Amino acid sequence: MVQTNADGCDYKERLIASVKKEVKQLMEEAVTKKYVHEESSSVTSLCGAVEACLSQGLRRRALGLFKTSSTTALLHKIAKSCPEAEHISKLVQEIEAMDPNKRSSSSSDSFQRPPMLKKSSSNSMQSASSSSNATGNASTASAVSASGSGSVSSSSMALVSMKYLWIRLALYEKRLTKIIEYLVSNASSFYDRDSLVADSDYGSILSSLLVGPCALDFTRAKTADHYWTDPHADELVQRHRISSGRRSSSTCSRPAIINFKRSLNTSSDEASTGSFKSMATASVAKDYVESLHQNAKATLLYGKNNVHVLPKDVAEPMAGYLSLHQHIQTLTIKWTPNQLMNGYNEADEGEDIDKEAFWAYALNINVDEIVYVHCHQSRGEDSGGTVILVGQDGVQRPPIHFPEGGHMQQFLSCLETGLLPHGQLDPPLWSQRGIGKMFLWPKSMRRRILPSVMESVDETPIDYVFRIVSKSRHEEFAATHSILDFVRSTPRRAQLSSCSTTGSSDCSNKSLSIDQYPVESPLLLLQQQHAQNTSIEMVCSTMRRQIISRAFYGWLAYCRHLSTVRTHLSGLVHGRITPEMKADEEGLTKERWQLLNADGVLENATEFYRLVYFGGVQPDLRQEVWPYLLGHYAFGSTREERKKQDETCKHYYETTMSEWLAVDAIVQQREKEKTARAVAKLSSSGSNSGNERTVRAADLDAGGELENEVFEDISDISDPGDLEFDDEQRQQQQQQQQIHGQQQKQKHQQQQQQEEVSVSGMHLCVKPIPRAMKTSTDSGHVDEGENFNELDEEAEQEQQEKINAEPPIASCSTSTASSYETVGPGGAPHQPSNSRSRSVLSPEYLSADDLQLPEDEEDLKPPQQQQQQQAAVIITNASVDIANWERSPKAGNSQQMSPVQEQAAALDALQQPKSACASPASSNGGVYSSELLEQFGLNLHRIEKDVQRCDRNYWYFANENLDKLRNVISTYVWEHLDVGYMQGMCDLVAPLLVIFDDESLSYSCFCKLMERMIENFPSGGAMDMHFANMRSLIQILDSEMYDLMDSNGDYTHFYFCYRWFLLDFKRELVYDDVFATWEVIWAAKHIASGHFVLFLALALLETYRDIILSNSMDFTDVIKFFNEMAERHNAQAVLQLARSLVLQLQMIIENK
Amino acid sequence: MATRKKSLLKVIILGDSSVGKTSLMNQYVNKRFSNQYKATIGADFCTKEVVVNDRVVTMQIWDTAGQERFQSLGVAFYRGADCCVLVYDVTAPNSFKNLDSWRDEFLIQASPRDPEHFPFVVLGNKVDLDNRQVSTRRAQQWCQSKNDIPYYETSAKEGINVEMAFQTIAKNALEQEAEAEVINDFPDQIILNSQNNRPGNPDNCQC
Repeated sequence: MVQTNADGCDYKERLIASVKKEVKQLMEEAVTKKYVHEESSSVTSLCGAVEACLSQGLRRRALGLFKTSSTTALLHKIAKSCPEAEHISKLVQEIEAMDPNKRSSSSSDSFQRPPMLKKSSSNSMQSASSSSNATGNASTASAVSASGSGSVSSSSMALVSMKYLWIRLALYEKRLTKIIEYLVSNASSFYDRDSLVADSDYGSILSSLLVGPCALDFTRAKTADHYWTDPHADELVQRHRISSGRRSSSTCSRPAIINFKRSLNTSSDEASTGSFKSMATASVAKDYVESLHQNAKATLLYGKNNVHVLPKDVAEPMAGYLSLHQHIQTLTIKWTPNQLMNGYNEADEGEDIDKEAFWAYALNINVDEIVYVHCHQSRGEDSGGTVILVGQDGVQRPPIHFPEGGHMQQFLSCLETGLLPHGQLDPPLWSQRGIGKMFLWPKSMRRRILPSVMESVDETPIDYVFRIVSKSRHEEFAATHSILDFVRSTPRRAQLSSCSTTGSSDCSNKSLSIDQYPVESPLLLLQQQHAQNTSIEMVCSTMRRQIISRAFYGWLAYCRHLSTVRTHLSGLVHGRITPEMKADEEGLTKERWQLLNADGVLENATEFYRLVYFGGVQPDLRQEVWPYLLGHYAFGSTREERKKQDETCKHYYETTMSEWLAVDAIVQQREKEKTARAVAKLSSSGSNSGNERTVRAADLDAGGELENEVFEDISDISDPGDLEFDDEQRQQQQQQQQIHGQQQKQKHQQQQQQEEVSVSGMHLCVKPIPRAMKTSTDSGHVDEGENFNELDEEAEQEQQEKINAEPPIASCSTSTASSYETVGPGGAPHQPSNSRSRSVLSPEYLSADDLQLPEDEEDLKPPQQQQQQQAAVIITNASVDIANWERSPKAGNSQQMSPVQEQAAALDALQQPKSACASPASSNGGVYSSELLEQFGLNLHRIEKDVQRCDRNYWYFANENLDKLRNVISTYVWEHLDVGYMQGMCDLVAPLLVIFDDESLSYSCFCKLMERMIENFPSGGAMDMHFANMRSLIQILDSEMYDLMDSNGDYTHFYFCYRWFLLDFKRELVYDDVFATWEVIWAAKHIASGHFVLFLALALLETYRDIILSNSMDFTDVIKFFNEMAERHNAQAVLQLARSLVLQLQMIIENK
Repeated sequence: MATRKKSLLKVIILGDSSVGKTSLMNQYVNKRFSNQYKATIGADFCTKEVVVNDRVVTMQIWDTAGQERFQSLGVAFYRGADCCVLVYDVTAPNSFKNLDSWRDEFLIQASPRDPEHFPFVVLGNKVDLDNRQVSTRRAQQWCQSKNDIPYYETSAKEGINVEMAFQTIAKNALEQEAEAEVINDFPDQIILNSQNNRPGNPDNCQC
């Protein structure tokens, strides 16, 4: 028994200790950060500790209904008699009621909630009335009840998932102490006798411990601690706008993370003049505003309002807010005129201009710069005082007049405290603040000070001069300080400075430490005997030499830098600078275009490019102009030539398309079957699932086999063992051949014409294709890619197909027209699946197609078509033989063939007599090699996925135009199967298609575009080159940005440019801006730079440089920022900046 | 001052294109589903604060491009990952099949200290669709075979299981981080040992 008692004591001791520890931590956090975030981990752990204390020895029976010993239940229980508890209990219930689903995760005692709710609803009237008047803390109560439901609902989502909900809430509401006091005083009814709460000592300790935390303000706002949930890019831009425009910044939650180097620079530059006069950059203003507040980087040591300062050029002393901030290394004194301080609240537009002026008066003084602090006080009166700060350069800062009441003394003592670790006031500020005289110290201790300063100051009755001694500063500015030391080398000074030196006894030597002047040190040793004057001279000459050598090295570095620029970057821009547009020019307008394009012949390429580069193209001209820009049309070509070229392209495009459509059909058919099979398998296994045991047994038996099943289904498109499939294949081929046999007879003219365009020229079904495309796009064709839609239908047909072994779609694999017709009109069911009937039917379609033959075909028909047709057949046959020879050993050989060859071979095979179908090649995946089918199938699948989600919110792609997109990309991929489809191609085709609204033209232009862009894709090496160039460009054109990026790491930091370069900024801008940007990029190649994208990227970066710099963004921040800024840029401004950057680099290179 | 270190958990989402990586991330972070997402180019990330084991941690969730071609980019992003989320589409068997290569590729590129126990989480997405083709059992088998990877079936569209899955992800990532810290302590101990050994060496020399 004794043992257990001792244990109990021990345990209580530990519980209390943990609460103590957590309270200490929380209070520390509060002191250093000013705010404590509600979700701070120290809050959570404190709540945990309190919960542990409260639940120790909690009597279960005391809670009556509620069987578990939950503290929340306890809270609700005491709510009746304790107003504080009632208030919290209400809040808890409200929050939990918000989200009943999440109960399980809310608190440890969620099971008791439903009865709770009932209870509260019965009490709700009473509780509402009592809560508002019962608590002494009326203001909080009313605030809470006023904001009541609103604030709760907004935060409930987050709160509900928290542990220790009620303790948390009580803490936030500052009522935890009261509740615990209540519990302690009424412990007998809720707690066991030996519990912590019931213990006379521990109980009161617990409640008194929590007094501190309950006095804290908690915030949900993001504090410095929450660095990673950065403000959204919009907010950053907004803030920037505020601080640069109106310069009245909100109290930013994000701390002023100033680049340390930068802040040093600004403070030394600007603080030396004592005002913000020279300060132009807005970011400094923002930093300044933000730095007035205590944040993670700076501790506020002293703050006093209505301190008067007499700035330069002002007659009357102005009142303002004086503050003393301690940074890691430095101490800063700031004074801000009241007008500016008030401005935050008022945000009055009208006063903008005035405020600008006030900014010039604000003080920002780095204490490092200050050597003397002069204090003046009228004798006999306790009338405030005046402090004048004198810098090491002897310049006085504007006097600071403190109001009455010992504020000056407070300021000085704060200053002394702030200096403490590394420096001190000399003489020390004694704490003898007696009556009347503020500073008492023996006269003998007064320092010898510069006489001139002393004289000017000596008028007032009481004045003291302090010197600020700083060890760290002493080391840093040893050179400058050394002079001061020579002037007044006092023993005390020597003592201090001896920290930084070693050995020697002479003070002049000490300050010029050996470390810093390795070369001069032997010389200096010789100087030891010389008089002080000589040593000053010596130091001066040393400094002079240093200055000169620095200047020299600076110049040398600049020269090297320039040569780097010339060697590395001269390739980025053209040497010749094209004159910019005259003021009255507006790019390529309709008039200019008509002028340039007289008689339909565009001759003056340079002028054309110049206009586009500087001014862009008028939107409705783009369709005409872009083919020139992309190099599709040659300059100087006539209208007829272009028309012919277009036709050629069209035919080439259609031919190619028909080729891949054939493959597509096969691929789709296979996929459907696979899907159907997989679904069937899944559903069969699903139906078995009722009988779990059997399934499991089966699993065990066939474990290994099952494991791979899915994979087999997918990967082996042409599984040799797949008999059913082979049958289909063979029959497909038979059909195709039959169709082709008939086509052959009917289509001499096409064949012949095709030879003009296509090198392979063996494909027979050219004719139907234009129609096929029409149906595919016009009839809202459902078949393509919409596998899922067809799935049900598919499943139904599965049965029939098994009997017939006849694919519904595959039969049209070559003759695409028929495929579309079968599906297109009125959703007619698939044709009777029988090779015979199919072959009979297909001529119908073909003849229908023939009827629709365009007239222009006939124009081109030469008279001796018959002969040529013969020749064609002979040629194709010959190639068939060769192809078959190549193919026959094994299908794998076809991999080595180029896609074109392969197609030729495949198509030739179609023309073979029927017997050829039975050849081994056909059973290995039909006329196309299985590799080809697989590869292209995979590509098609990917294209489909990406096309479906490409710009579907843009009006143009809201409808069937997505099919056009798919066609263009598929055609490109078919032609470049070695490259394959890569994500991003969709984005590149889409704008072209929007402009041209013509598949073949878009295709041709896309090919031209890809000549450059393909290198950016992972298969090419241009991206790394871009990154390297970006790096060099930033180094040269914005060294500050470069420093930031350099400090953060290596080339990976340019990955935020990846999407920019890959897609030519397509994702960064809205469509209209994409058009404008693209045409400038294309024109720039001929006018200014072949790497205009680099300058665009740089311009984009420069546009936001202040935000990036002032927030000291790292790799991830920049990525996030630009991803969030996508489609929000001002494209015209960026373009203009990019052009000017090109010019800037051109000038640098020119200026040899 | 005894402020605890603010933890940042880096989570990488991998998987074939259009399995729903972006959607999952946005569903989790913003509680929104949009059918307007485009194919991700490059990489993007979102951050979200979560409470794991009573600690507030920030999850930095990286969404990557799905096409395996673009994985050469990955190295920059994979480095320092605390957890890797492998996503497949239950209606696309291929995406499930590719989980293997995604996992391997990640382990190669991120080269975590302890590849065997690096936390992965597998998500089978799009369970709201009815043309499911990869069975739960098969996915579970695969996960078990890979050192018991936690497996969730999710729907970014309906928000099914997303919260729970990411909670697990955060938890596992945090454990990984804790382990990493323990491992970080190791070199010190080795140095101590070597110092302890040193006195022995001169003795040997004298002999």
